[in-house]
Amino acid sequence: MMNQKDNKTPWADSLIASYAAKPESENLGELRFPTRKDEYWKYTRTNQIAKNSWSFQDAEISSDQVENAIDGIKNCVVFINGKFDAPHSIELPKGISVANTDAAVESFAAEKPFNPFRILNEALPQTCLDIAIENNTVLDEAINFVFIYHGKDSVANPFNRVKIGANSSVKWIERHIHIGEHATFGNVCTQIRLGENAYCGMDILQSGTGSSNHHEEIEVSVEKGARYVQNSFTLSGNWTRNNTQVSIVGENAEANLNGFYIPAQKELVDNHTIIDHQVAHCNSNELYRGVMLDQSTGVFNGKVFVRQDAQKTNAFQSNGNILMSDNATMNSKPELEIYADDVKCSHGSTTGQFDDEAMFYLMARGISKSTAQKMLVGAFAADVLELLVHEELHEEIENAIHKKLG
Amino acid sequence: MLSIKDLHAEVEGKSILNGLNLEIKPGEVHAIMGPNGSGKSTLASVLAGNEAFEVTDGSVDFEGEDLLEMGPDERSHAGLFLAFQYPIEIPGVSNINFLKTAINEKREALGQEPISAKEFLAMVKEKAALVELDNKLANRSVNEGFSGGEKKRNEIFQMAMLEPKLGILDETDSGLDIDALRIVANGVNQLRSPERSFVVVTHYQRLLDYIVPDFVHVLYNGKIVRTGGKELALELEEKGYDWIKKEEDQLA
Repeated sequence: MMNQKDNKTPWADSLIASYAAKPESENLGELRFPTRKDEYWKYTRTNQIAKNSWSFQDAEISSDQVENAIDGIKNCVVFINGKFDAPHSIELPKGISVANTDAAVESFAAEKPFNPFRILNEALPQTCLDIAIENNTVLDEAINFVFIYHGKDSVANPFNRVKIGANSSVKWIERHIHIGEHATFGNVCTQIRLGENAYCGMDILQSGTGSSNHHEEIEVSVEKGARYVQNSFTLSGNWTRNNTQVSIVGENAEANLNGFYIPAQKELVDNHTIIDHQVAHCNSNELYRGVMLDQSTGVFNGKVFVRQDAQKTNAFQSNGNILMSDNATMNSKPELEIYADDVKCSHGSTTGQFDDEAMFYLMARGISKSTAQKMLVGAFAADVLELLVHEELHEEIENAIHKKLG
Repeated sequence: MLSIKDLHAEVEGKSILNGLNLEIKPGEVHAIMGPNGSGKSTLASVLAGNEAFEVTDGSVDFEGEDLLEMGPDERSHAGLFLAFQYPIEIPGVSNINFLKTAINEKREALGQEPISAKEFLAMVKEKAALVELDNKLANRSVNEGFSGGEKKRNEIFQMAMLEPKLGILDETDSGLDIDALRIVANGVNQLRSPERSFVVVTHYQRLLDYIVPDFVHVLYNGKIVRTGGKELALELEEKGYDWIKKEEDQLA
């Protein structure tokens, strides 16, 4: 049994006190953070979040620091500790609006959130990024939504609400950048609704510090004929958990979730996905790959539901991992629950050591060990990189991977 | 050029080479023959620096340097090349990028400028022709989906690109049909020069009809037990290895 006392979060009460508009009924002081006895959190501790005293920080960040973080990035819409930062942002295109909010915002989801991250986010968001695209609209210029987290024990709860009208197409890049030496906690919640025959393509780049915590919850619903693509790249950060839940609610729709992660030292990266096939004739594809260095930990849990009505479903899932050190750990769990009988579903999970034979082959041709490693890890990552919505990110991500390999 | 003295090596605690001696001078072609399990491929792997094999005794001098002190990449930079018996498939790494990286890392190690794109492409074209390697293969992932013959031709192509001082061919003839064998051997012969030496590891005399050796050595129980000219290979072809095994076992 969980010890309630251990999961008290007194800091949440003072968070509320500092929040202008009081949320009505949430008892945040008793946020129950999951423990490793909870099946969904078996491999990922939340202690360091539950026990820290988080607060909203308005600590000044210098313009230099912001410019440094967004250096070379075009079309930025910047959020600093959850608040919209107009000076560094472009003029928002039609359909995109941002509100610095001190009031609880309306969620698309009907049910009450059950996990503490979402409760916290929904009760105390600092910003609501609203993307509301009318029918028959194409937004094809890539926008970079850049979320910067900084300051001692600072928590930020960005809330993003996306509604894409029928036959419309939208793509964007999301960057989550933790900076500085202090503990930070980014707690993002994104809700996406794709209308009929709509397209949404998103590349997410996460980079953190030795004391950053990043929780990102993405909840998507995909209507008839619509196509959803999400690629997440976790390049650094002490603690990262990504929860993605996609409900496919209209026929001939498609969902694609892909990711690459390369934790080092004691970093942890946890990707949990749920794809819920509720109706017939839909496809889903998942490709997650990871390279674990040093004493790092990786977690992948991919759940696929194929409901009784979801005949002719094609659902493919693949998770491949390389452990680069004897002290690295990977926990991978594919879970398929299939209630329809005429479906094609497959899943595969592999975790292995680095290929010594390939290393020797490359080195025997005069290639140094470090270059050989970069080539092999690059080749492993390439299958995910090829799926990028924004091809122009390819080199940037590859460079970040190389940097990580040293 | 290469001087191997009293070389002992083991893999997973099992000793494979037991005091091997071999001297190779510039321009010479040495064939290493011997029955299965005699240590032929181990010798090739040890010379190239495969860490799966542990050298327990002896020395190897390559052009005045202690070869055993060098990593596999440094041995390559020094001018040693191993054509693998089983070339590795490396999905996602293109043959061309791989070769360009290899050439440039060698140039960097030798304090030279990187190869220009133009020079590199001209070289690829010229060397691929040596082994009649399809240009398309050059652009594919390293060895991925190559036939057995294509893999072996790719090895010789790489050797031609890297222009080593010493080429070690580890059973390059295995798995080749007679046409592919001829092409591969022809490629090797075109690379022969008064400065460049070869060690040709093979089971069969057949390859030596094409690549004519200056010396033939018979390896048995991890030692060279016979050395002769090319006629020794013919004798082995005719009589097999049993007579050598018998004589050696009696001596032991």
